Amino acid sequence: MSIVKMHKIAIIGMENDKDEIIEQLMNIGVLHISDVSSKMQDESWTGLVSKDENEEEIFQLSSDIEKIKASLDYLKQYDKQKKALFASKRTVDASKFKSIIENKNKIWETIEVINNMDENLNKLKQEKNKLESYIISLSPWKSLDIPVQLTNTKATSIFTGIIPASADVNGLKAQLEAEVQESCFQIIAEDRDQKYLVVICHRSKTDELLNILKNYGFNKVVFNDMTGTIEQNIQKHKAEILKIEEKINSLVKSIEDLCKKREDIEIFYDYFVVEKDRKEALGRLLKTEHTFVLEGWVPETEIEYFKESTSKWQWDCYIHISEPEEGEEYPILLKNNKLVQPFEVVTEMYSLPHTGEIDPNSIMAPFFFVFFGMMVSDAGYGILLSLVSAIAIYKLKPKGMLEKLLKLLFLGGISTFIWGALFGGWFGDVVTQVTGGKIEIKPLWFNPMEDPMRLLLWSLILGGIHLYAAMGVKAYDAIKKGRIWDAIFDTGFWYIFLTGLALLLAGGKLGTVGKYMAIIGAILLILTQGRAEKNVIKKFTKGVGSLYNAVGFMSDVLSYSRLLALGLATGVIASVINTIGTLLGFNIIGIIVFVAAFFGGHVFNILINALGAFVHTSRLQYVEFFGKFYEGGGKPYTPFKINTKYININNKENEERKS
Amino acid sequence: MKLLEVLLNGQFLALLGAAFAVIFAGLGSARAVGMVGEVAAGLVTEEPDRFSQTLLLQALPGTQGIYGLLTAFVILFRIGIIGGTPAELSTVQGVLFLVASLPIAIVGYKSAIAQGKAAAAGVGIVAKRPQELAKAITFAAMVETYAILALLGSILMVFGIKI
Repeated sequence: MSIVKMHKIAIIGMENDKDEIIEQLMNIGVLHISDVSSKMQDESWTGLVSKDENEEEIFQLSSDIEKIKASLDYLKQYDKQKKALFASKRTVDASKFKSIIENKNKIWETIEVINNMDENLNKLKQEKNKLESYIISLSPWKSLDIPVQLTNTKATSIFTGIIPASADVNGLKAQLEAEVQESCFQIIAEDRDQKYLVVICHRSKTDELLNILKNYGFNKVVFNDMTGTIEQNIQKHKAEILKIEEKINSLVKSIEDLCKKREDIEIFYDYFVVEKDRKEALGRLLKTEHTFVLEGWVPETEIEYFKESTSKWQWDCYIHISEPEEGEEYPILLKNNKLVQPFEVVTEMYSLPHTGEIDPNSIMAPFFFVFFGMMVSDAGYGILLSLVSAIAIYKLKPKGMLEKLLKLLFLGGISTFIWGALFGGWFGDVVTQVTGGKIEIKPLWFNPMEDPMRLLLWSLILGGIHLYAAMGVKAYDAIKKGRIWDAIFDTGFWYIFLTGLALLLAGGKLGTVGKYMAIIGAILLILTQGRAEKNVIKKFTKGVGSLYNAVGFMSDVLSYSRLLALGLATGVIASVINTIGTLLGFNIIGIIVFVAAFFGGHVFNILINALGAFVHTSRLQYVEFFGKFYEGGGKPYTPFKINTKYININNKENEERKS
Repeated sequence: MKLLEVLLNGQFLALLGAAFAVIFAGLGSARAVGMVGEVAAGLVTEEPDRFSQTLLLQALPGTQGIYGLLTAFVILFRIGIIGGTPAELSTVQGVLFLVASLPIAIVGYKSAIAQGKAAAAGVGIVAKRPQELAKAITFAAMVETYAILALLGSILMVFGIKI
């Protein structure tokens, strides 16, 4: 239960060997490289060294990584190969890794093709759309069987055009017969908005005819750049569309073929990410003309391995290993036993402890365990939660945060099971409901739905214990740092005062004891809480004022009533689900409804309540528990190592190290 | 005077309480969840990977609606509409159930919207620093405390009413 001590490392080497040394350090993978920019403000350093700038290179690598990622994302849409729900990292032989890196250009070509694919595909689709809308605009003219380029003959003019649907066709006919006898027109088609006309007249009468037509709202339609009949043109475009569709299909097919390359591209992606990490590490060094200097930290547990690995180095370089100075902040690595480890994720999400602070995880863990289970409190749900997270851990083999989170859920499931059994919740009251009350699983302790006040009391008592533990940690920290009086004044006296108050509330014979305890505690607090002030009156007022913190403590304790509320919520919702399920009785439809309600309902209930339990247990830890003593603000220990997303490189050295 | 008789009927008043709990807490949650959804959708257009994180934030202000339903069910259990024969309730008893539903109805409505705002702002945290999701969740969960207290108040009252 503690923060791992770190050893300070300084490496000074020749500029020429820099790249190789950095690569070696990456393979060793235990050194946390510190940022040296603070050194640059130190006057004794500024004259000597400069920062190794390589931002351009890193920028280039980042944009390369973006490109590779874009192509991977694109392939994902077309990959027909079924992906497992729990995908884990593949292991790739070092030789294969090498061969892929050596064929850089080939893979870049593939990536280019994939990234251009989207654009090409869109272009084709656009073209297809254009043609389709063209066909739609032509289709009213379909029955026009004269070639469209024919606008006049020796003696006649031919017009095509539209008039509004509301135009008076009979009037037009009559007027034409009366005024321009050398003409005729035909309505080829009509729709809701307009009528489609073709008009033929003698050449000499063209102007007169057009004048009359204009009065009826005639608009000339001219088919530019077209020859042949409309029907022929439509057929032509349809053929073009077919061709485009073929092209689209072949493109999609070629993308699907490229999916086989996906694994290679993933390896390529990891390679670039590692490369970028390496370059970024280079940016954290300081250099002179011929040498470079690097600073970092190695955890105590890894220092022997680090020494041994670096002792084989052939380069001219100097490695200095020292203990951290008093009060010097170093990166934080937590080391806890296997049971506590999963709970670290809760602290990590809040803030890591800083150097010299107590790692709160081992004290927090049992409370988290108890509270989480109390909030879900259903034996059936607990079994399911543990089962699902165990399967996920087994299949996914996750690392880091996800691993801890899943293990936390596994443990939470066990706690949920225990509390569920204590309170008699097995998927709510499903057994009672199904058997119509004949069989009832008795709670091992009591049923909170029948006696909520009892559980409320227990929730508050647990809350009080949690808060006492937090104050205890504060005292322990003070004692460890040699401030024994602080521990007695700030925690011991509060214990007396608050315990007294609690007993007073409980009443009876203990109540009298409590009364005196509270009075003595209050006096002691008034005398000591203002000790930081110099003025006697201020000492006194501050001491009296500090008693007000008791109100804060009360409200903190009341906050634990959520243990009851969320526990009840799970139970009530579960029994509602069961009631709905058994509503239709014991027949075929009833059984179907029961199964549907049972699975759908309980899965929903587990999800929403496990989320709620996690969130609110965390809140109790963050606000009520950590609020009493915890400062946090530590920087995590992030060793400089090969950090991949898709693959593990199967390196002989790595294998040996793991075993 | 038939109407007055109905209005003063104990069963009616108790049911009215159950309805209030469901209606107002549900309304609040619906608005809040919608609010977070809008903001989250904006982020997901740019960063589809953040879907699950934002979904978590969106789910948070949804609990008030559940608490409302829960209170309603407890009332329905107590007055025997579910799983039993409807109990004879006096007007006073009916009013008591109605009053018992008020905490979760009113606080549920308001706190859901307030929590929705906090969660929507939390989406902003996830947008810029996805690793800080826990803090965004904690901010929203701080608001939920009061919905839980209201639920607790309502439920204890409902359990405590003598029939």
